[in-house]
Amino acid sequence: MWGVIKSVLAAFFGVQKEQQRREDFKQGRPMAFIVVGLVMGLIFVVGVAALAISVAR
Amino acid sequence: MAPKLPPHHPVEQSTSATAGGQASAHHAPPRGILRWLLTTNHKEIGSLYLIFSLIMFFIGGIFALVVRAELFQPGLQLVNPEFFNQMTTMHGLIMVFAAVMPAFTGLANWMIPLQIGAPDMALPRLNNFSFWLLPVAFLLLLSTLLMPGGGPNFGWTFYAPLSTTYAPPSTTFFILSLHIAGISSILGAINIVATIINMRAPGMRMMDMPLFVWTWLITAFLLIAVMPVLAGVITMMLMDINFGTHFFNAAGGGDPVLFQHLFWFFGHPEVYIMILPAFGIVSAIIPTFARKRLFGYASMVYATASIAILSFLVWAHHMFVVGLPLAAELFFMYTTMIIAVPTGVKVFNWITTLFRGSITFEPPMLFALAFVVLFTIGGFSGLMLAIAPADFQYHDTYFVVAHFHYVLVPGAVFAIMAGVYYWLPKWTGHYPNVKLAQWHFWLSVIGVNLTFFPMHFAGLAGMPRRIPDYALQFADFNLVSSLGAFMFGASQLVFVAVVILCVRGGEKAPAKAWEGAEDLEWSVPSPAPLHTFETPPTFQRHEH
Amino acid sequence: MRTPFVWMVGCLIGLGSMPAAVASGWNMPVGVTDLSREIHSLHMIIFWICVIIGVVVFGVMFYSLFKFRRSRGAEAANFHENTTVEVLWTAIPLLILVGMAVPATATLKKMYDASDAELDVMIIGQQWRWRYEYLGEEVAFNSSMSTPRAQIRGEESRDEHYLLEVDNPLVLPINRKVRFLMTSDDVIHSWWVPDFAVKQDTIPGFVNENWVRINEPGIYRGQCAELCGMDHGFMPIVVHAMEEEDFEVWLAERREEAEQEAMGVDREWALDELMERGETVYASICASCHQAEGQGAAPAFPALAGNQRLIDDADWHLNTILNGVSGTAMPAFRSTLNPVELAAVTTWTRNAWGNDTGDAIQPAAVVEKLANQ
Repeated sequence: MWGVIKSVLAAFFGVQKEQQRREDFKQGRPMAFIVVGLVMGLIFVVGVAALAISVAR
Repeated sequence: MAPKLPPHHPVEQSTSATAGGQASAHHAPPRGILRWLLTTNHKEIGSLYLIFSLIMFFIGGIFALVVRAELFQPGLQLVNPEFFNQMTTMHGLIMVFAAVMPAFTGLANWMIPLQIGAPDMALPRLNNFSFWLLPVAFLLLLSTLLMPGGGPNFGWTFYAPLSTTYAPPSTTFFILSLHIAGISSILGAINIVATIINMRAPGMRMMDMPLFVWTWLITAFLLIAVMPVLAGVITMMLMDINFGTHFFNAAGGGDPVLFQHLFWFFGHPEVYIMILPAFGIVSAIIPTFARKRLFGYASMVYATASIAILSFLVWAHHMFVVGLPLAAELFFMYTTMIIAVPTGVKVFNWITTLFRGSITFEPPMLFALAFVVLFTIGGFSGLMLAIAPADFQYHDTYFVVAHFHYVLVPGAVFAIMAGVYYWLPKWTGHYPNVKLAQWHFWLSVIGVNLTFFPMHFAGLAGMPRRIPDYALQFADFNLVSSLGAFMFGASQLVFVAVVILCVRGGEKAPAKAWEGAEDLEWSVPSPAPLHTFETPPTFQRHEH
Repeated sequence: MRTPFVWMVGCLIGLGSMPAAVASGWNMPVGVTDLSREIHSLHMIIFWICVIIGVVVFGVMFYSLFKFRRSRGAEAANFHENTTVEVLWTAIPLLILVGMAVPATATLKKMYDASDAELDVMIIGQQWRWRYEYLGEEVAFNSSMSTPRAQIRGEESRDEHYLLEVDNPLVLPINRKVRFLMTSDDVIHSWWVPDFAVKQDTIPGFVNENWVRINEPGIYRGQCAELCGMDHGFMPIVVHAMEEEDFEVWLAERREEAEQEAMGVDREWALDELMERGETVYASICASCHQAEGQGAAPAFPALAGNQRLIDDADWHLNTILNGVSGTAMPAFRSTLNPVELAAVTTWTRNAWGNDTGDAIQPAAVVEKLANQ
């Protein structure tokens, strides 16, 4: 699980080691990455919104 | 101009002819105009898209030149303000929906099957339909100029209530034409997604796809996501105008700001729809002429995806002065600034690809390099515009006009031209004339900068956009812009000459027309026969 | 292939030196408020950040284009990945952006703090003029462009403030926090004065807020920034900023004028008087659509000269001016103009350009009509 989160974070940042990427693709099961990606996307949006709201106060 | 395409080899007849003499007559390909009306071949449809967009590029360009001619000096000389507004509006609409978008779709039609080793698009008849919707849509749109009250005059962003309660009677036709164009885009996007997902050559994984395919895949998803939003907002306009609803009419309890939220929720991803495929083209050309693999392929894919996702989170940066609450301003300022990161990554990757390459300057490379420099300048002004407090000064001025023309003209349009020069040998079997192409390039680069660079100054000095006449302190900037615009416009005639000459003849190109080119399209003969990859090729992966 | 390269370098130098010429009239004005100064400095900071990044990035690019040309015998290297540099060039821009976001946030918060204003001015956008109402002061007036159409057509020479001059400028005191409440009667406009760094859309059905505290007396000019139809280019803004005492004197004079005007409603007006007043109102309010000679501009703006319905039906005529025509560009003028102005402009349009009805519409009749509706 931690590995998936790390890979999704790397994708968000846009940089991933080629070796790790191959490792991820070997699994052949994208569901975990998609779910974690969506959740982290949501966290990102809510995070920026929370920051904006707290700064605006 | 009459395109002379590869001869129509009756390949599919070889099997049906043996089945029976009479059946072959039935299957004989239609000739003349019917051939083009009924074609389901991705190459022919690709050519149709490209020719259509070139014609529209000139029509939209003429509208722009009317605008620039009127702005050549202070005062009203050539047109009245109503017609001026119709020209700015039609210029924007035609360039966005009828020139840039179909040009990319045309390139996609031609090149995506060739780049992934597919025999055709996944849904060939749908492909035919989505192209032929376009001439209908834009003839309808252009015809509004001849209607009483004139054509759309409310800017390509058609803010309500100027575009509803106060709009000319032709607005209903404008809505209909945008609906048709939108359907065409959605169908085209569905086709591209289906093709890329299902029809890759055996052994080609997603992360093996050329970047043009990747960027188009992501663009197609953007199109499918946002074109319905556009359709929704123009339907609401239609209801307001014709059926007495009050979605955007404050007097009836409606909300004019809602229009802008909906429009820009479509409009901002739309901006990326017009630039992501350009990234793909440039990412193909630079490695070819630097004779070195693209640096950071994976991060290019990630960056394209991030830009696409972030594009849904930034729409209100177009609305910094409509009176949003402070928290909303901050949210959209932060998300907009973040977009600079993946965009920067792309530029750094291109430049690192050049670093320690073995570089030559063929015409496609010239346009791709100009793209990198001038698009980045557009990116810088974009970053400035993202700073919300400063945007209170920049908003709705010529600074914005300069910004989006830098990303769209030497950005998207140069990338399209780079792509055309790059793939012309594949399409026609001939290299484009180098001398003429260089003339085209240098006139365009100089013209584009003369046109759009002074607009930065005009905007900063206080000139609002979309005005038919201006105060005297803006006269010099506008004079230079107008001269540059006519130079840029004229230089596109050179482009047409290059294309026509290239279709007619020229130096013969081999299958692999550029020595540094790697992708699958270079494995089929030049010119590409009408039917390619009827047996799937074996895909050879780069060894890491 | 040497020539394109030389050209390319030339272009880069040309482009690079252009923004260096930031003489006045080429750059954003510093302005005359604390906030406009702050925004100007934000603008300059981000501009120089862009210039530095540009010099570095384009420097590497053009160095590569020069050094690694095949014509100089360059052999392509074979590298296509490097996690360290990729992390660096993602992280560094991110840090620069955070550094930029901090001062931008601080400035934005100040811009949004319109509390403790000492004077409230309502700004109403109309096609194609501004209306200013000093709230609680009983002073309100319209402000239209005063540049003659002959100058626009090029029949007269253009003066210094061509297109940036109005009949009634907005007058504001310096050193006082003035709050603007902004709305619109028809389409969206945007009230912009660069020297104040105030640009705010005026939107029908919404009241937006902005504010200004001017540091120096003077005359400041701006324009409508949001496309609002035919004469979008012809609705300038002029603000006359005065010392506080002068402002008080001006305000008192205006208040007195308004009182006089209100008294004028009750008396009988002569045709000549009404015509004289009506001509001014027509030029300022009506002429942009119905044109100077009442000839209109088909099909949106009907002709008034020789308009048979108008000549025959005085009641309908006045009603149209008071209430507008829904679904068209003709707005209701009942609250934009006062009864004297309404009567005068009705009288003028009934008698000018050969309409010659001889009717003198009295302000009292307008008041009565307004009361009955």
